[in-house]
Amino acid sequence: MNRVKLLFFATLRDRAGTRSMELDIPVDLTIQGLKDKISNEFPNLKESMSSVLITINREYAFDEAVIPLNAELAMFPPVSGG
Amino acid sequence: MSTENFPTIFSITEEELDLNELLAQITLTSTGAAAIFTGMVRGETKRGDAHDTEYLEYEAYVPMAEAKMKQVADEIRERWPVIEGIAVVQRIGKLFPKTPTVLIACTAAHRDIGVFDAARYGIDRLKEIVPVWKKEVSPSGEFWVEGDYFPKAGE
Repeated sequence: MNRVKLLFFATLRDRAGTRSMELDIPVDLTIQGLKDKISNEFPNLKESMSSVLITINREYAFDEAVIPLNAELAMFPPVSGG
Repeated sequence: MSTENFPTIFSITEEELDLNELLAQITLTSTGAAAIFTGMVRGETKRGDAHDTEYLEYEAYVPMAEAKMKQVADEIRERWPVIEGIAVVQRIGKLFPKTPTVLIACTAAHRDIGVFDAARYGIDRLKEIVPVWKKEVSPSGEFWVEGDYFPKAGE
């Protein structure tokens, strides 16, 4: 298994009810696989998965990307700074 | 002076933005022009869905946001190599109407070689790729403002 850290921001943090969690995931899990896992295990977040942005080690990541060992992942809505 | 010596400031801060101090930091002896964009909390919105705002609460994924602000500055330098100093600063926390929230400033030797376009590019890019969000709090409730840009691979 691969132990990763998952951070949540903005609406995702409100729905998750936490700023961060540690997750054990299969070593070859992709971002799409992570979305599926989150949808199954955290019903509150299921609806958010269709428009969420996900980062791996502080870079934007896409569905087919494989999650590296001990990655820092984050989930958040499209940004609204300024 | 080589490009490596040109000052680049990028930061997320909870402190008040000192526009004069930031401008001084990106002004060189060869500088003759600066374009400074600053955004502030708008208390009364008339365009579109008219509403009042009591305050905005900003949050950021700080280490990634600062890295992406540096990327914005790098992109500005690629497009406008004559730009001398660049400052990209976002304030976070609870911010009330009329308070400056963000600053993008670019300096150059002259006003007609791209400083306006460079600063405009900087604020537009910040709003696309820098992970910062704001929650709007108004007399009728509160909601997270969400953008509409989905970064592509390599952004």
